[in-house]
Amino acid sequence: MIKWLSVVLSMLLATQVYANENISPRQLLKDMSLAVQERNFDASFVVVKGKGMEPYRWLHGQVEQTDLEILTLLNGAGLEVVRVDDVVTYFEPQTEPYSLSTDVIDGPIPEALLRDISALDASYDFVLGGKERIAGRPAQLVRLVAKDESKYNYWLWVDLQSALLLKAAYVNQRAEVLEQLQLTHISVTEKPAGQLLELKSKTLPVPVSAIADDGHSKLQNNWQIGWLPNGFKLLKSDRHKLNLNNELADYFLYSDGLVEVSVFVQRPLTGQRASGALTSGATTVYVHNAGAFDVSVVGKVPVETAKSIAESVKRSL
Amino acid sequence: MTQSKFDVNNEQMTSEILDAERELNLGNQAQLDAEKFARYALIGDVMRQKEQAAPCIDITASVAAAIADEPVYNMTEEKTTSQQQKHESNVVQMSFWRRPLSQVAIAASVALCTVVGVNNFMPQNSIDAQAPVLQSIPLTGTVAPVSLSSEPAMQSAERGVRELQKQRIGALVLEHQRQSRMAHALSKNTNQAEKDKQEEN
Repeated sequence: MIKWLSVVLSMLLATQVYANENISPRQLLKDMSLAVQERNFDASFVVVKGKGMEPYRWLHGQVEQTDLEILTLLNGAGLEVVRVDDVVTYFEPQTEPYSLSTDVIDGPIPEALLRDISALDASYDFVLGGKERIAGRPAQLVRLVAKDESKYNYWLWVDLQSALLLKAAYVNQRAEVLEQLQLTHISVTEKPAGQLLELKSKTLPVPVSAIADDGHSKLQNNWQIGWLPNGFKLLKSDRHKLNLNNELADYFLYSDGLVEVSVFVQRPLTGQRASGALTSGATTVYVHNAGAFDVSVVGKVPVETAKSIAESVKRSL
Repeated sequence: MTQSKFDVNNEQMTSEILDAERELNLGNQAQLDAEKFARYALIGDVMRQKEQAAPCIDITASVAAAIADEPVYNMTEEKTTSQQQKHESNVVQMSFWRRPLSQVAIAASVALCTVVGVNNFMPQNSIDAQAPVLQSIPLTGTVAPVSLSSEPAMQSAERGVRELQKQRIGALVLEHQRQSRMAHALSKNTNQAEKDKQEEN
């Protein structure tokens, strides 16, 4: 009986593989990142985090060899990010606009998916899912499955015709959707949108050189971070004051290609406090009270992962 | 000499007024020595053994002295602050246009992050059942039982700590967002550096 079942199962698997033979998930994602970089489009999408919802407008186009992109958060005080080739400028409420020299906007869609998906190879497997209808278009599901359980999975629904992203979601190990992004409208046009033409004529702040001091940016060695999930690499570590409350923090930034994790080591706050976590969508904030110091971990990782990272931080000898 | 003469005249006038030998009018009021007048009146009352309804303690002088001192004290204060202002005027002018704005900025962003920190960061039911300990201790909840059983002073202290913690979490989330913006460029750099190293080897 079992033998018979396994035969049927293997046959089923075989037919599925056969049916999908002409589509490789990797190729689909490559097509997607190319489409995002090459096409002129005007899209609207929403990001749903628990009970919260954030609507965005996203424009991209090429004007005379110049790559232009605008991402706008439409609710609340707002946030507007514009990109002209390799310069990204962030306009935030009540903060001086500033530019960074990077070729991708840090928005709700992970940067690696918009550029170089090979950055994901180390930590994620690419698995093809079924076909679905999303935003009125036929879409193909691709799952980025984390190679270990310490990370969330990321699911993407890609338009079969235009190869543009239609929907995406952070999904935990029990297949529960934590945070999702859904396109509500997209128009792919021959000519770039008028706003992009306007953008090209604007003068933007000179980019702040954040990479220039790369050699010095990895000097922070007061602390040993004993454990990190596989695939996370240190991008930056330093000691600086936090923008908002002027508190000094020893800072570490890690990335596994898909998500970033920040580790802060700070002076402990007075008072009786227990360690604990807060989550919003896929983002976890874990604050660990280590007695003589506080360790906080922020990132799109499961609570257990954030907790393990925070608890592994020791004073280096 | 004229001064002493004036004093004598003055004293006489005061005495006359006290004895109702001379009428008090606007003309001689200026010459009336109020202090002496009061003292004479007091002496007279004592001599006549008039009962004092209330012990008469003359504090007018000390009050007057205090009042006289007051403007001087203020003036020195003003002087020093104006000096300081002059001293700092360069700095103030430079950052004047920016300072009020940045204060608003901080206030607004704190508000923004508190909203993020409190409303959105409420523990969701999706926090894993595998970690029940965590679910039962959301950051804002941990202190509640303690403060309920203690004095108001303790309560406000706890609230202060909670406020600080909220602020800190807001700051951390914002900082993470901002730092992440460079992540892609940084990781490209790190990868490039690694490749270069490998090639060198």
